[in-house]
Amino acid sequence: MTKKVLYALGGLALLVGLWGFYDRFVNGHQNMAYGSYVVWGLWVAMYLFFVGISAGAFMLATLDYLFEIPLFKGTGKAALWGALVTLPAGLVSIGLDLGHLERIWKVYLQPNPLSVMAQMVWGYTIFGLIALAALYLAIRQPKHVAMKPLMIVGLFLAVFLSGGVGALLGVNAGRTYWHVGLLPAQFPVFSLASGAALMLVIIGLFGPAPAGNERRPQQLWVLGLLTVVLGLVKVYFLWADFSQSLYGGIPQNVQAVNEVMFGRYWWAFWILQIGLGTVIPILVLVQPKLAKHNGWAGWMGVLVLIGFAVARANIVFPALTVPELEALRTAFSGPHLSYDYFPSLVEWAVTVGIIGGATLVFLLGTDRLPIFTAKTEATK
Amino acid sequence: MDKVPTNATLSRRDFLKSAGAAVAFLTTLEANPAAALTGAPARVSLAPLSFEVGPGDDVILRMQADLQRALAKPVDQRRWVMVIDLRKCVACQACTIACIAENKLPPGVVYRPVLDEEIGAYPNVTRKFLPKPCMQCDNPPCVPVCPVNATYKDANGVVVIDYDQCIGCRYCITACPYASRTFDFGSTYTEGTPIAEGLVVGQTTADDYERAANFEYQEATARTGKDDSPIGNVRKCHFCLHRLAEGMLPACTTTCIGRATFFGDANDADSVVADLIASPNVMRLKEELGTEPRVYYLV
Repeated sequence: MTKKVLYALGGLALLVGLWGFYDRFVNGHQNMAYGSYVVWGLWVAMYLFFVGISAGAFMLATLDYLFEIPLFKGTGKAALWGALVTLPAGLVSIGLDLGHLERIWKVYLQPNPLSVMAQMVWGYTIFGLIALAALYLAIRQPKHVAMKPLMIVGLFLAVFLSGGVGALLGVNAGRTYWHVGLLPAQFPVFSLASGAALMLVIIGLFGPAPAGNERRPQQLWVLGLLTVVLGLVKVYFLWADFSQSLYGGIPQNVQAVNEVMFGRYWWAFWILQIGLGTVIPILVLVQPKLAKHNGWAGWMGVLVLIGFAVARANIVFPALTVPELEALRTAFSGPHLSYDYFPSLVEWAVTVGIIGGATLVFLLGTDRLPIFTAKTEATK
Repeated sequence: MDKVPTNATLSRRDFLKSAGAAVAFLTTLEANPAAALTGAPARVSLAPLSFEVGPGDDVILRMQADLQRALAKPVDQRRWVMVIDLRKCVACQACTIACIAENKLPPGVVYRPVLDEEIGAYPNVTRKFLPKPCMQCDNPPCVPVCPVNATYKDANGVVVIDYDQCIGCRYCITACPYASRTFDFGSTYTEGTPIAEGLVVGQTTADDYERAANFEYQEATARTGKDDSPIGNVRKCHFCLHRLAEGMLPACTTTCIGRATFFGDANDADSVVADLIASPNVMRLKEELGTEPRVYYLV
């Protein structure tokens, strides 16, 4: 039942997205709300969100194929499939954000190796190929000699690339909100947490029926605890970051933190990121009975992911909504010259479409590929 | 300062030499467009000024003479800098407009805004104006972040953008601490205006003007379609390299009604700018970031 509803919702979302894609390709970037001041908007935030999930899901696949933890036996393929679906979703999101997508080949053939962005493009390409090869082997020849080396390299890349995304922002010394050593350190934790949340969703809502996998409640319980612990670590990071910023008093930094907590979109931080995305899942998942329940665990995973999507946005936008020089706000007026940002309809449509497309591809994979185990079936 | 020798006439031989050099240069462009971005030729031969310039003359004339001397030097011996005297700026925005006209900038793209800041509380209020071109940093944060080396310091020491190389990721905009870069979203001034034909007004005519080529980086770059460069590219001030190559000062400098903007070669001890940046009241924006801007402010 859940699947049928999701198929319908995914298809609908994709339809909405098609209009967004059409507008993007016909009108370029003209109908976007991001501009020359808030240069990166929803699509970049969603890129961070999706690639974070992808890296985290791969990290969790190593529990099965690298560390061979008995409890997680049989979950590796689902984790790899999750990684493979979310990675292109992130790449489509960032690809559409480019002014000249058709020149992306230049990053491969004429790269600046010292650019963190070029490193990310190369890294994610290799990471995607590794995840693809690992899934192929997991389905066809799980005992293949190349499996473990692939997982080792993939795990290294998952950690490195997650940190690299943090560094991509953090190297900008002019943006004090980003330029903290903690940023690249936080991102692998965020990735692992969002990977754990995705696995809660996959195992909780789409996993094999309880009769087919007696380990499932225990898997959910452990993933739930992992999500709780990482959620608390995330809150600690936030506290460390925000309290230092406010105490330090550097105006640009204070302004950005205030924008997150008390600005126009305070509700996104307090209600979505902290309330729905952190507090409620923690309260639910610390209770063994609820944490082992497929539906509860799965939907808590969804809430955590929503919280992470907002958290990514709260990393990207606020730093850009603070002018480099205060008087720039009014120095020159024109389209796309504003320090206020709320995604345009086209941006939302494209994001909805990408989520819809990713959902459909994921569901098709669970139906057509032996994702869960050879002897069990996904719930209908 | 010595008077600069003058010779208003251009001999046929000089003309042929110049024309030959121009053809050779254009041929080079054809073969390697990126060469245009590496800056002006090592030495630029220009017709001498048709007037004499001395210390008491208008600063524009003096800078013009400075420019001639600088262009006669090898490119690696010049150090272009801009000096802006904030005490003289009246925020007339003439430099902003001149820049827009010179580079045919579309809506939303600005190379040289003038920041207007009110300081204090009534009745003790004053206003501060800050014209802000690209700082052409000697240690530019925008350069290393570019994933495809589309932005770099050229032989002149000016930070340039190769429009054909730029993928439009806008990473350089986030890296610039001075907000000196803007993205060309493809907007036009005439979009949405009534369609009417006419010699001067009407969208058809005006639209033609908007789409005609500019000559940034000594290349004729037309805005022909929604996706063609420079649409979809990041754009920025380049000290009017294309004008410098022709022996002209940057548009903002010649247009400044208060003579508040100065431009020249800081490596020339006799130049106006070398004299100005030796003043004790000189400052640069955000020096603490170590970017080493080439734009100096007199306060």
